[in-house]
Amino acid sequence: MNVKLWTIISLLFMSLFVFNSCSEKDDNFSIWIGGSPEEVDFWEKVINDFNAKYDCNLILVRQPTYTDQRKQSLIISLEGKQQNPDLFLMDVVWINQFIQSDWLEPLDDFAVKSKFKTEPFFKRVLNLVDKYDDNLFALPVFMDVALLYYRTDLIVQPPETWEQLKELSLRIQEEQRKTNKSFDGFVWQGAQYEGLVCSFLEFIASNGGSILQNDSVKINSKENIAALQFMQDLIHKYKVSPENTYTEMKEEEVRREFQKGNALFERNWTYAWQLHNSNDSNVKGKVGMTILPHFKGHNSVSTLGGWHIGMSKYSDNKEKAWQFIKYVTSYEVQKQMVLTIGWNPGRKDVYEDKELKKKLSQLNLLEYVFDNTIARPTVPYYTQISEVIQRNVNNCLANKIPPVEALKEIEIEMKNIIKIYGEK
Amino acid sequence: MREDEIIKLLKAVGVIFLLIFCLFPFLWMIFISVNKNPDFLSPQSEFVLTFKNYFEVATSNKFHLWDYLVNSLVVSIASAILATFFASLSAYSITRLRFPGRIVIPLILLGFSMFPQIAIVGYLFGMITDFGWLNTYAALIFPYITLGLPLALWIMLSYFSQLSTELDKAALIDGASRLQILFKVILPLSLPALFSTFMLTLIYSFNEFLFALMLTTDYHGRTIPVGIALFEGLHGQIPWGYIMAAAVIAVIPVLLLIALFQKYIIQGLTEGAVKG
Amino acid sequence: MERSKTNISDETKTAYLFNAPLIIVAVVFVLVPVIGTIVTSLMRDVTFLPEKFLAVENYQRLFSDRHFYESLQFTLLFVVVSVSFELVFGLAFALLLNETLPFRGFLRVVILIPWVIPIAISARVWELIYNFNYGIFNYIILQLGISDQPVSWLGSSVGAFIAVVISDVWKTTPFMAIILLTGLSAINSDLYKQAKVDGTNFLQRFFMITLPLLKPVLIVALLFRSIDAIRIFDLIYVLTGGGPGGSTSSLSIYAFNYYVSGDFGYGSAVSVIVFLAAGLLSVLYIKFGKFRETLQ
Repeated sequence: MNVKLWTIISLLFMSLFVFNSCSEKDDNFSIWIGGSPEEVDFWEKVINDFNAKYDCNLILVRQPTYTDQRKQSLIISLEGKQQNPDLFLMDVVWINQFIQSDWLEPLDDFAVKSKFKTEPFFKRVLNLVDKYDDNLFALPVFMDVALLYYRTDLIVQPPETWEQLKELSLRIQEEQRKTNKSFDGFVWQGAQYEGLVCSFLEFIASNGGSILQNDSVKINSKENIAALQFMQDLIHKYKVSPENTYTEMKEEEVRREFQKGNALFERNWTYAWQLHNSNDSNVKGKVGMTILPHFKGHNSVSTLGGWHIGMSKYSDNKEKAWQFIKYVTSYEVQKQMVLTIGWNPGRKDVYEDKELKKKLSQLNLLEYVFDNTIARPTVPYYTQISEVIQRNVNNCLANKIPPVEALKEIEIEMKNIIKIYGEK
Repeated sequence: MREDEIIKLLKAVGVIFLLIFCLFPFLWMIFISVNKNPDFLSPQSEFVLTFKNYFEVATSNKFHLWDYLVNSLVVSIASAILATFFASLSAYSITRLRFPGRIVIPLILLGFSMFPQIAIVGYLFGMITDFGWLNTYAALIFPYITLGLPLALWIMLSYFSQLSTELDKAALIDGASRLQILFKVILPLSLPALFSTFMLTLIYSFNEFLFALMLTTDYHGRTIPVGIALFEGLHGQIPWGYIMAAAVIAVIPVLLLIALFQKYIIQGLTEGAVKG
Repeated sequence: MERSKTNISDETKTAYLFNAPLIIVAVVFVLVPVIGTIVTSLMRDVTFLPEKFLAVENYQRLFSDRHFYESLQFTLLFVVVSVSFELVFGLAFALLLNETLPFRGFLRVVILIPWVIPIAISARVWELIYNFNYGIFNYIILQLGISDQPVSWLGSSVGAFIAVVISDVWKTTPFMAIILLTGLSAINSDLYKQAKVDGTNFLQRFFMITLPLLKPVLIVALLFRSIDAIRIFDLIYVLTGGGPGGSTSSLSIYAFNYYVSGDFGYGSAVSVIVFLAAGLLSVLYIKFGKFRETLQ
């Protein structure tokens, strides 16, 4: 009884180890990607095609969709110098930290060897985020920017300045509220999360302001105070943006409000276009899309979003990994990506594709916006800075503190962060 | 008589409150899962009955619902069995044998359970990878054993301490070893306690999120809570209908288990609890 | 005498063998990582900076950080409020389920439902219930005319706190109720009959018999729940993400944010504090609960 029992138990144990420890062949390499099931479907197809074409064994490892969770799992395995993942997609704001943590393999040698050209990409984007000390560390796979959506049935000409946007909002809002009580002039992302930093940056930069320049804090400027004041006024003074802007409004909340027909203007990423024009949308065929407004005497800007591909320094399959980077950023795959999941390509030349242009009228606009995009601060301690900005700007939008104080507080906290993490 | 009436009334109110309290979010979940528009309460929307959500999550390969469910069940059942078994070995020795460290062991285990999971997951990841266990069942089973262990030990300790030691003595005189006594005398008498320990530790594992998120990479190893969390889109589009339908399907097997063992769970917990 | 001596060493050997599996698992999968975390908390372990020994600098930084105190305050308040509510509801449900009732078996299954649904999923259900625009809570509030404005449950710090507490109480009351039920059903019913003959009412009986006899189990239940509550992570992570304004950022969330930002040293220091706080709490419980005596 005794012996038999222990044998059974130890067999049970051993089976646990054997089970599932699938044969790790040496030529396997992996890419970590997150996203909704539909998005992952597309990647699976791309990877299958790639494996068939080049006789490789690239494995797709599915990450969560939440950006924070994706980053955490990457950080943990890269910090642990694991061979997996070989490849991964990075949010634009992580790239600098990943480079400075010495986790990314420079791509220049591979590019030279395989005569890979970077000209077809947006030069501005590569310089903003993918290059560091003249080395190339990543390539854009898909890019995103924010745009202004407006109702073509309610106004003819979209506004060019924020001032005009406010005036139009006030007028149309008053008219519409007679029949629709929940109508608002302008909906945008003001909840405390990463998206708030993007909208904040657009407001200040379209007034000539900035956050950080060469490691010196530029946040507490009169341009920024005026811009933040305007943001606060949209909600509390002009009341063209709803009260829940600073509590609830994230991408999806904003999109749904607009899509229900409850708003004249909307700030959102490019993904909203397709959904606004889907069959169950209340605003189908009544939506226009244009660049974001600016303050008088300055230029429109849009915050750069999107995902870039990079190669781990600890990868044991770098040649093949490079092969895939080349493949995924190739003209054909990028074109396929727009057509299948509607993501904006990272290559500039795809925007000139005749077939695509016929199908997607917005490509010209997007190309223009990408050439004028700005990046959030490219420092390795961006996460901390973002948190400080989110918290204080959100407090200001909630009317708890005036813009001057919010920016002063951000300045103090940012300097403190740079003191701790800024050492080279 | 009046007091009885008050108690009767209290009971009735209590039952109604309990039903609302426990069932409302669960029923809401089911309600959303059979609804085309999760935002049907807003003026521009309406309730439209549909079973499409169930059909889609159950049949579409991209959701891997059945893989996640099988993984969840295998991992939580295996870790619950092991935790129950380990806890009964330990509880037996603590209640029956005198040895240095008898009191300290349960206390140390309690101490172990106090470290925030978030803090050890980083090291666990490194270890699990070194073992080559990433994305396997073993990667979750062993850490999960430690999750439910304090509770398992407490239940088994309470139960065993109620069983007379005369049984052991008689068996010892017959020349049985301690292990034989445990298996042939004590455990058969402790079925209710074993069931309840098993069920409660199973629920712990079935619920766990963070370890599962970090230590598994795809549907070969992922469990239900993490699997369902992956339904979301890049900009925070949440397919409520799919999530709720998948959740309802996922909860059913465990609810069935509980319904089946309900009698033993309570019995196992209660018979051991006579203390002063 | 000699015989019993060898017996003792045999007994000890058997005892250690019996405890071996449990201890090995706990050492490998908890103790080793814990020690690693403690060591890390003494280092500057930031992904993009060279590693360096800091001794207690992370802890100094922590104790001078306002947000750490806010997070500590939130966590402790959360533990006290939610565990109290769980205790009240749990005890009420346990008393109820200990009575003879129609469909008692069914009710005993029903009460476990909240506990069986994984937090990562039930938090989603709650998110939908609290939703500003189409959540059922706001729908009820507006329909009944309690307020003419929808409540921003997850958007205000008070609302978010209440939301987190409600969801946690819902989730974990069943656990409390089941553990307390075990204590209740162990109380000899003759005691109640005797007390009834003596002319006491049910409130007196509750305070004179039930509560004192329930105390050991009560302490255990409180201990398990408090340790769980002080580490709360999943629920808040899915429901509020720690917001708004960091107002629901528990210590675990606070630590997690530093792990994500790449500062492992500081994140580990926070984790060690959570560990110590939970430890302190259980020492108190064990002292008051006379846990040792119960074991002997």
